[in-house]
Amino acid sequence: MAVAAPPREAQVAAGGGIAWERPVQWGLAIVATFLVVFPLAPLLYQSFLDRPLYEADKALTLGNYGRILTSSEFWGTLGTTLLFGVITTILSVGIGTVLAVLLTRTDLPHRDVLHHLVMVPFYVSPLVLAFAWATIYGPAGFLTIFVRTGIGVTPWELYSVLGIALVAAIYYVPYTYLYSTGSLALTDPQLEDAGRIAGAGPIRTLISVTLPLLRPALAYSVILTLVSAVELLSIPLVLGSPVGIQVLATYLYKLGLVGGQADYGGIAAVSVMMLLAITTLVWAQTRVTGQERRFVTVGGKATRGRVLALHGLRWPLTLLIWLYVILGVVLPLLGIVLQSATAFLSPLVNPFTLLTTQNYVTIFGEGSYVRSIWNSILISTVGGAIGILFIALLALVVYRSTFPYRGWLQYLALYPRAVPGIIVGIGFLWAFLLIPGIGPLRNTVIALSIAFIMRFIPLGFGAIGPSILRISPELDRAARVSGATWLHTIVTILLPLLKPALVSGFVLLFISFLKEYSSAIFLFARGSEVIGTTMIELWRQGNSGPVAALSTIQLAITFVVLVVSQRLFGARLHG
Amino acid sequence: MADTVTAPPSSGQTGRAAAGQDLVVDDLVKVFPGDVYAVNHVSLTIPQGQFVTLLGPSGCGKTTTLNCIAGLEEPDGGRIAVGEAVLTDVSRRLILPPERRGLGMVFQSYALWPHMTVYDNLAFGLKLRKVPGPEIRTRIAEVLELVGLGQLARRYPFQLSGGQQQRVALARAVVARPRVLLLDEPLSNLDAKVREQARFWLREFQQRLGITTVYVTHDQAEALAISDLVAVMSDGRLLQYAPPHEIYERPTSRFVADFIGQTSFLAAVVEEVGDGRARARLTSTGAVITSMLTDNPTKAGDRVLLAIRSERIEVRPDGDPGAENVISATIKSFVYVGSAYEYILDTPGGEIRVAAPQAIVGPEVALYLPPDAIVVLPDDPAAPSSAAPPEAEPPVPLMAPD
Repeated sequence: MAVAAPPREAQVAAGGGIAWERPVQWGLAIVATFLVVFPLAPLLYQSFLDRPLYEADKALTLGNYGRILTSSEFWGTLGTTLLFGVITTILSVGIGTVLAVLLTRTDLPHRDVLHHLVMVPFYVSPLVLAFAWATIYGPAGFLTIFVRTGIGVTPWELYSVLGIALVAAIYYVPYTYLYSTGSLALTDPQLEDAGRIAGAGPIRTLISVTLPLLRPALAYSVILTLVSAVELLSIPLVLGSPVGIQVLATYLYKLGLVGGQADYGGIAAVSVMMLLAITTLVWAQTRVTGQERRFVTVGGKATRGRVLALHGLRWPLTLLIWLYVILGVVLPLLGIVLQSATAFLSPLVNPFTLLTTQNYVTIFGEGSYVRSIWNSILISTVGGAIGILFIALLALVVYRSTFPYRGWLQYLALYPRAVPGIIVGIGFLWAFLLIPGIGPLRNTVIALSIAFIMRFIPLGFGAIGPSILRISPELDRAARVSGATWLHTIVTILLPLLKPALVSGFVLLFISFLKEYSSAIFLFARGSEVIGTTMIELWRQGNSGPVAALSTIQLAITFVVLVVSQRLFGARLHG
Repeated sequence: MADTVTAPPSSGQTGRAAAGQDLVVDDLVKVFPGDVYAVNHVSLTIPQGQFVTLLGPSGCGKTTTLNCIAGLEEPDGGRIAVGEAVLTDVSRRLILPPERRGLGMVFQSYALWPHMTVYDNLAFGLKLRKVPGPEIRTRIAEVLELVGLGQLARRYPFQLSGGQQQRVALARAVVARPRVLLLDEPLSNLDAKVREQARFWLREFQQRLGITTVYVTHDQAEALAISDLVAVMSDGRLLQYAPPHEIYERPTSRFVADFIGQTSFLAAVVEEVGDGRARARLTSTGAVITSMLTDNPTKAGDRVLLAIRSERIEVRPDGDPGAENVISATIKSFVYVGSAYEYILDTPGGEIRVAAPQAIVGPEVALYLPPDAIVVLPDDPAAPSSAAPPEAEPPVPLMAPD
């Protein structure tokens, strides 16, 4: 028996030395805290100052709040914002839920193709979607004029609260759709089977069993959509400001960037109040999702339930969804691509006789326009890579360490969700103004990258977190017992296992950074333009052709990145 | 030391503890939020080279104890050492991280790293210990040979069967020559049949290496079959720590008697003690029962429980209900389990379970309770354990089995 009996003395792994575990964790926590607090502190400070925070002789005051709260413009704007938010949420969650149930739980034909088409707005900048809709359905839009020529009256008014809400709803449908399909995938199909056995028909089962099980996902979607709609800048800006419809985000935009003197105190006061309101909503949402466990049916079962047979309803319902997808998404996007290649787009003239490259020449002929494209790609690539790595490490500290403040860190990582993009931009701008020594960074792509990373920590966290939780903690425990330190375990076990999630998370950040404009609007300067800011600039000058060209370029980059990442790395951004 | 209830093999006994590499857990405490004592002042010594099982129902604290030994959880009190090497000493704020303890562990899910081959899984710990390359290769070859998987070094974990994965996990745990091998229910993911074979194989493997082993399971049959010593835990407390046969034959508390095997209990009052016997009068019928075993000190007038295993009860269809240690019973129900007929019988003192080799002709029967099969237990339902005194003798199966 002596053959294999090892000597008794134990070998303990070498390299006791310094324990890097805590310093690294503290470092990550401090950077995260800094990222989140950095833009918010100056806002709070400025909201109590009687003049811009970089000026001398400033004094503390409550005047900003007083001025805003007694302004009828503010109250009117608030009312419009709430109306817009509620209509958007109802439309978006309603459409998203119906689509999710129909496309994952029934025998609808074409559901694979439709699934992809429904998700398209997820990858498109809301700015581009707004331009696209204006191209087709705006007062001078292609379809508007086409119908008006036919029946003699203007059929719809896109530049209205309802019109803006409809476009915003289509932009947010993928979010509800994602959460609902995710929740449906985790639902034990036996629950539906039990409903059928108990005597319920297919539709009855959908209504009495499937839908109630979706409640947590719906509650989550409602609050997420409402919060996002309230902070949305682009669609109300493009479709609302021409006719004087104003929401809080465009109000802030006007206070800061339109007209002569920016009202610093007013901007700060509005921002702080918006933050408070949204924080409350987000807090309510965490309460709602905190209860989600109650609804967790048998977890993670991969087995697909039998789909429900719709019989006679199959084709009518499919047709309806096709109509939604074509009118809501495909047609506007095709329209803007077509517009980018024509002198002007009108149903009265065959567009193919007006083909031109002039819009692209305009873009590529102007240094700052080209620079904005390169800046966007640079920020998306480098900033996205740094961002996803940072976020992954943060998530590992939260989920896989003994760091004493990890619970708090998780809250912190998710908090930027409650900060509207335009406020992130203002906050970072003022922080750079206020803190001496980092001035040169202001108005560089570095500043933009930092702001973008902060803004999308929750998104990256949401992409990486579940993947971490799916890795059995016994795998890291085994590494620890085998002699690896926490850091070594992260590097040799967890990060390699997370590679698919890191790739997907990177693509997600890349696309989000490429789309991002709202936090850049206050922060960019000559030299650090991005596609979004250039589009708004061109739009304000009334150059719809070059706007369309730039939109098309952004769509093309997104498309290439999506295809390459899926073909080469098998990245899955959802589902 | 607080109210520790057990008598682990005493370390002061002969001085042999100091000489060896015994794993000593002293007064271990782990409190979870909400003042839940997951481990409640547990002390036990695991002698060098022995196979010790922590046994108990889920939530009894056995896995927490194991994780405290491994350093995966930080206890709130106590001391853990292997020979001279102190792994944890809460009073000195010393808690070595898991990677500095020199232990090996097999997890319930095996925890084989899916992105590494079998070879890389095994090499991981050796590289961290700066073992030279050629030696890594020979050691891995050796240990894979030992578990009978020599030809699978280049496979990935997902290409292996459950039994093979379990062996790889075991190989990985011992390849770096750990001080102690920790096993967290490593057989629970195997099919029943494979599992029984794995049990024998694991025991043989441990004896060949002669490695000190702590094994956690909730399966009492497994614990009895595989261990040198069994530590029965409940509610964070260590109730009894003894060799398997003693755990089975001479439980010191109702919980242990109930948890292991099939046991019936009859309430009684002790009449007299002496001469290696105890005589007790059943509370229900007043019949007098004689018991041979008096591990638990009792005196006349004590309220006790008489515990008896179902397979030790003899059925006497023609027995005289008035005779000594004979009680009358009525058949209530039975199941046939292949190796026996298992009966539930009604007696005035409550239900009694009997495993009989043949079918019983009923419904009225007489049951003979052999004096040497009866264990007298303190009848203290509030704290079934706290009355357990130190065992009369420390368990001494400390000889190596060869």
